[in-house]
Amino acid sequence: MKTKNLRTFIAAAIFVVLAAGLILGVSFGTLSGFGWGDFSLLCPLGALGTMIATKTMIPRALISLVAMILFFVVLGRAFCAWACPVGVFDRLRAFFRSPKKRKELEQAKHDEMLAISRQELEAKGVSVKNAAASEEGCTHNCMTCGGCKPVKHGKLDSRHAVLGGALLSTAIFGFPVFCLVCPVGLTFATVLVVWRLFSAGDVTWSVILIPALLVVELVLLRKWCTRFCPLAGLMNLFSRFSKTWVPTIDDSKCLETAKESACGRCAMACEADINIRHPEFGERTMADCTRCRACVDACPTKAISMPFLVRAGHKVTLADAEQEVLEGVQQVERSVETVLNPLDKAGE
Amino acid sequence: MAEQKDVAAEQAAHEPSEKRAHEPMSMSRRSLFIGVGSTAALLGLGALRYAGHTPLNRPPGGQDESALVSACIRCERCYEACPRKIIIPASIEDGLLGMRSPQLDFSSNYCDFCREENGGVPLCTQVCPTNALQLPADAELGNPETGERGNVIIGIAKIDEYSCLAFRDTGCRACYDACKYDAIRLEGTDTNPRVYVEADKCNGCGACESVCKSLSAGSIVSGATYRAIIVEPVEAE
Repeated sequence: MKTKNLRTFIAAAIFVVLAAGLILGVSFGTLSGFGWGDFSLLCPLGALGTMIATKTMIPRALISLVAMILFFVVLGRAFCAWACPVGVFDRLRAFFRSPKKRKELEQAKHDEMLAISRQELEAKGVSVKNAAASEEGCTHNCMTCGGCKPVKHGKLDSRHAVLGGALLSTAIFGFPVFCLVCPVGLTFATVLVVWRLFSAGDVTWSVILIPALLVVELVLLRKWCTRFCPLAGLMNLFSRFSKTWVPTIDDSKCLETAKESACGRCAMACEADINIRHPEFGERTMADCTRCRACVDACPTKAISMPFLVRAGHKVTLADAEQEVLEGVQQVERSVETVLNPLDKAGE
Repeated sequence: MAEQKDVAAEQAAHEPSEKRAHEPMSMSRRSLFIGVGSTAALLGLGALRYAGHTPLNRPPGGQDESALVSACIRCERCYEACPRKIIIPASIEDGLLGMRSPQLDFSSNYCDFCREENGGVPLCTQVCPTNALQLPADAELGNPETGERGNVIIGIAKIDEYSCLAFRDTGCRACYDACKYDAIRLEGTDTNPRVYVEADKCNGCGACESVCKSLSAGSIVSGATYRAIIVEPVEAE
């Protein structure tokens, strides 16, 4: 099964199980507050909001917050790719798009990323092997548009502004404001109100308003996850420190470095708007990696892998002490590999 | 024509660098727009606090309305936890602020404070992860087995004498029979007594409302949308 399908399946399964629990009254909670009995794991934004609003330390909220932060440091924004129902909606939407529109969108992204790859290779002074194609395919006229501009990545982006606004409003008015409009919460609320409409004949405007709000957020506000979601913004604050399972390019295999041929497939595939080969051109940086493996799957030469720890050669600035630790770990890894490699080959 | 094209090309070539010079350092214009717009929207949403909402019958532990609104993150765990399935989400008609917060619905069952299901510890209060539902330290819960009222008052039952069957000489006394706390008094010794609520004995458990027959087939008073006996939130009075 392709990772993309696997991801859709897992996120959909989580949603279906939790929604069924909601209908049948099996106490699993929802993604806003998952758990059973006394145990619960809260949405970090909800936990933060409820503590700010009530100005009290709520044990379960605090524990959830710490646990979630640890999760973000280790697995980045993996929740976004593997569990969040919003991602499933996006894929559903893409599925129901007309083939023409889908092709147009894909083509536009394809052209843009390819143009960036070419430009960057040319900037290095290499003669791009597949340069000829640019005159036919590229909709960006590179001669006039002055080249694809790198994005200036600040420490914070628009999602942090949304996060700040949500917490500010929570502090002023004393209730978790964002929870009212959170798309994850609205998804489960939709299940509940629709179920109640049919099972209890509970006719209310909520049945229309809740899904409508969801549609407004996910359709009208383009790129919700990349530009708006305050939860993604919160994750980003911690996932930027993540050094585990980060996609890494093997330059000796990558078409662009090894064969000097413009490719850009990893950037086309990325669902988090990251350009892994040319990070300065992506709307977001590796801090926002959702560990979705789309780039790993898309790479034609299998140059991208997701090692447990980032290896040397990958551009990461580390303090000296950290560097020593990393080198130590790498030594251990190498020795493990020398043991495992023959085993792998024997397995193949 | 060729000249025009050249001019246009030249302009286009110059534009980006000029634009770049005007762009703020870390945040693009779009980010700024999104940030300002969302913050304004979220502050506007926050102002709903002052708009308030219709008072609602809250599950046990949710009687401090402002504490509940402050802490509830709409995680829906209390709906699932309720063994009698009487916790339902408040709807938009009750006000935007309270939408999806927990309220009690006594149409088919009532609250026994989990006496039967959990030995008298309400499960909704037990699972609430944010303490939005939290019993005060001195809370005494109603006990339907002994008839003690307790001091956690969900609401007070109220009879609409116009639609109540007892006031139509039918001899109906379903609510009187259902009440575990002797909060319903029969008046008149004949075969068709009237029913009255003794407010100081009622804790709003909803047993009376759950059995009221005034909306059932054959006993409809035209225009009635609520049962003749309903639990009203204490705040409403």
